[in-house]
Amino acid sequence: MSETTYTQLLQLSAGLLLLCAVLIVWRRSLGAHIRLLAVQGWALAGLVAVLGLHEHSAELLWVSVLVATLKGVVLPAVLARATASDRTRAREETPLINTTAALLAVSFLTMLAYLVSRPVLALGSTAAVAAVPVGMAMALFGFLVLSTRRHAVSQLIGFLLLDNGIATVAFLTAGGVPLVVELGVSLDVLLVVLILRVLTSRIRTEYGDADLDDMTELRD
Amino acid sequence: MNGSVGVNVSAATFATSQVLVLVVLSPLLIGLMRTVRARLEGRVGGGVLQPWRDLRKLLLKEPLQAQGRSWWAMAGPVLLVSSSLALCALTPLLGTVTFPSLPDDLFVVVSILLLGSVALALVGLDAGTAFGGMGSSRHMMISALVEPTVLLSVYALSIPVGSSVLSRIVEARLDDPASVLSPVSLLALLALTIAVVAETGRLPVDNPATHLELTMVHEAMVLESSGRDLAWLEVGSWLRLGVLLGLVSTLLVPWGVATDLTAAGMLVAVLALVAKLAVAATALATVEVALAKVRLFRVPELMAGSFVLAFLAVTASYLVVQG
Amino acid sequence: MAIPVTVRRYAGVVAAAAILCAGVALDVVVRQSGPVTALGGQLRADALSAFMLTVVGAVGLTATWSGLRVRPNPAPTNAYAVLVVLFLGAMSLGVLADNLGVLWVAVEATTIATAFLVGHHGTRRALEAAWKYVVLGSVGVAIAFLGIVLLYAATRSAGSPTLSWATLDATHPALDPSLVRLAAALTILGFATKAGLAPMHSWLPDAHSQAPAPVSGLMSGVLLSVAFYAILRVQAVAAPVIGTGLMRGMLATAGLLSLAVATLLLIAQRDLKRLLAYSSVEHMGVLALAAAIGGPLAISAALLHVLGHGLAKSSAFVASGWILETEGTTRIEDLRLLLRRRPGVAVPFLVGVTALLGLPPFSLFFSEVAIVVAGVQRGMGWVMAATVLLVLGAFAALARRVAVIAFGSSADEPEQMSDSAPDWSTPGPRFPLGVALGTTAVAGFVAGPFAAVLTDAARVLGGAG
Repeated sequence: MSETTYTQLLQLSAGLLLLCAVLIVWRRSLGAHIRLLAVQGWALAGLVAVLGLHEHSAELLWVSVLVATLKGVVLPAVLARATASDRTRAREETPLINTTAALLAVSFLTMLAYLVSRPVLALGSTAAVAAVPVGMAMALFGFLVLSTRRHAVSQLIGFLLLDNGIATVAFLTAGGVPLVVELGVSLDVLLVVLILRVLTSRIRTEYGDADLDDMTELRD
Repeated sequence: MNGSVGVNVSAATFATSQVLVLVVLSPLLIGLMRTVRARLEGRVGGGVLQPWRDLRKLLLKEPLQAQGRSWWAMAGPVLLVSSSLALCALTPLLGTVTFPSLPDDLFVVVSILLLGSVALALVGLDAGTAFGGMGSSRHMMISALVEPTVLLSVYALSIPVGSSVLSRIVEARLDDPASVLSPVSLLALLALTIAVVAETGRLPVDNPATHLELTMVHEAMVLESSGRDLAWLEVGSWLRLGVLLGLVSTLLVPWGVATDLTAAGMLVAVLALVAKLAVAATALATVEVALAKVRLFRVPELMAGSFVLAFLAVTASYLVVQG
Repeated sequence: MAIPVTVRRYAGVVAAAAILCAGVALDVVVRQSGPVTALGGQLRADALSAFMLTVVGAVGLTATWSGLRVRPNPAPTNAYAVLVVLFLGAMSLGVLADNLGVLWVAVEATTIATAFLVGHHGTRRALEAAWKYVVLGSVGVAIAFLGIVLLYAATRSAGSPTLSWATLDATHPALDPSLVRLAAALTILGFATKAGLAPMHSWLPDAHSQAPAPVSGLMSGVLLSVAFYAILRVQAVAAPVIGTGLMRGMLATAGLLSLAVATLLLIAQRDLKRLLAYSSVEHMGVLALAAAIGGPLAISAALLHVLGHGLAKSSAFVASGWILETEGTTRIEDLRLLLRRRPGVAVPFLVGVTALLGLPPFSLFFSEVAIVVAGVQRGMGWVMAATVLLVLGAFAALARRVAVIAFGSSADEPEQMSDSAPDWSTPGPRFPLGVALGTTAVAGFVAGPFAAVLTDAARVLGGAG
């Protein structure tokens, strides 16, 4: 693969990752969120595959298959089942800030991501390192979603967005973490999502819907 | 000296032909969009030539002036048409040769665009009626949100080129058509498209076919105008739509734009522009059929979204420069 | 899949006992012949790991053994038994890993194992606590992972990609300071969330008050300390590259803030288990300050504090579980004069709280004093002055709330109660609590071999101060 093609493919997948992240903040329908997360998972897998081809690393290619399976298929399917039983309220109705403010926050967070990434950008001027702010921005968007959305599934989506962002940073800066850690991390993420999914359905049974604002019994 | 005269001549030729082509094409474009929409909705429609017939009818009519209207009721429409014609002349739709003294700089183009918007809004306010004022205020709200997006998104496209002159951007695009796949241009073009749709008053921001007082924007402003004045207003708006659609499609698909003046090149450029505009208009009309107008208070949401996309395009372009 | 009742009952106890034995054995081996590695270097036990493993085992044994009911009905469920064992296993893996990545995976695994334990009771409150716990815990730890990734990137650009602190300590690659600074800040922030340091503590009182008592004991007594151990490891890795200034600032701020928050919320606390949870925030604050001070004295003291706090806190939580079982409530107002009515459950609780208050002869007194002395020696006089004030404040607040249980005016006492004889029975075995609290009481006095264990463990972190 030529250097130019590599750079272009890398930038394309990074751009796609960022675009999906922005659209997740923009949209309110949980179904759209889940589809966007799936697209993002495939974009991340593509990114890893591009890196793997560029560095001739069979390990990275296997990791990209793992990423595609986990983030592109399994996790979206789990989330989709979490919302499937809840047709009536498959939307984020009461975010703490409105969409316009959230989108403006997104542009602010992007700038913040560039500032935060400065030590990383100093590592070198390769195309991969230059795209690191994208990962940082995704992680920050994940925080935004986590802290402003009140639907249980929305919080799950925020968590996964955060996780995708961190994974992006990991692959771009270091070509991923060692394989044993990568496997452990993937398993942990999968289990956390499954646990939160079970808790979500319990919350729904207990409270009638999955709005976290109802959970106010524990406070000092 | 001779060279600069040559440049001026070819720039003038391109500008004139762009104006001519667009003046002829824009009403046809509107007719095409209405026809596509009508066919998709199962109606026959008035035909592609209907806007031209409407125009002829309006131009022959004496404008009726509402009581208390000022001279602006006549000057405004003319200013709108002039600004639109200036846009046609400047935007590199057929050729990228520009006047050395008056480059088609991004900021020049956007300020001319804004001039037209203001002229139109003032026309709406002039009669002092409720609808006109409402339409103008809505129009200005949308414009205020759209202009930064247009500026930012074209700026993002200009960073990799190193120049804010539209012709240079189009030339760079011609040199490397694959660069459209970079995240910068994808984000920027997406933002620009949303902005253009809003600026030209298409669905989902404004419904050009409605006279429903709760939702209309453009129609509310021109409600008090009639006859020749109305004709100028309509032509002005149609030309803006033509130019902006042409700009977006040229940035997306640069093929056909001539870089110097030859007869064959000009012919190819005109044909390419016609084809691009036809495709763009058909696509826009098709999408519009499937869309409902968003509620007015959600328009800022849409605009904030496109602004963010443009902003991300700018940040992403630094990613390319450093990379 | 039904696990036999006996296995279900004793699985946790056996696992904890095994961990304790392994910890002690490793301690002995490591002190004689240096660090032990296994699994191709993924696992490595040095003095610090061995000590932490011993603490995990000791606190685990206290919590699981005394958590056994005298009446075996209802037997613990399958899930409960499996998750407790997994929880203990994850913590052991965490302290034995020689790889920041594996340590991270283990810490995240503790969240996974405890999620359903927190929500075990299935009430609305338990559900709410479990949700907050999993979301905040995972997110916090995700930040730590970002930091670990950046650290890995730094080692990679220095030519030797590794996450093993043994390798980093041995080779000292030339890491990029600004990148390591960002990495250390993020990692410490993330693990501090898991350690329950303010201002990221909000999940802690909910989770610790809703979990079943033995699990609360484990989480409060040793899981927080495992997260603290992760902070110590990161600090030791980063300090040679970027100095201690940034991390000292972060940890001292978090420590003082934790003390302040804990003191404020202890004052008005009405629930017994939340009271204990906020006491954990306070003690984690003390540990954070010890880490901020650094150096052999402060770190040895911190490790002694980890042991003393773990044993005392798990005992107190188990006793609070007994109180809940016999009295049906953990509202402090409803527990007036419990000492006179049910000394069987009130005495262990009060002794545990006395240890947590940091009164002599319990070892927490000595470790807190040593930490303050170390802080003053290292020129953090003002911070230590604030620490002492806040610790005294927390002491007063905790003592005042607990005093109600011990004393209370007899006017509050229902008439019929004064006639009945004091109830000395307990719903669980008393012996392990006695041993745990006894150990806490004597640990401060046992000089010689025990002090050597601590200083060896502290030396592992090198000049982290």
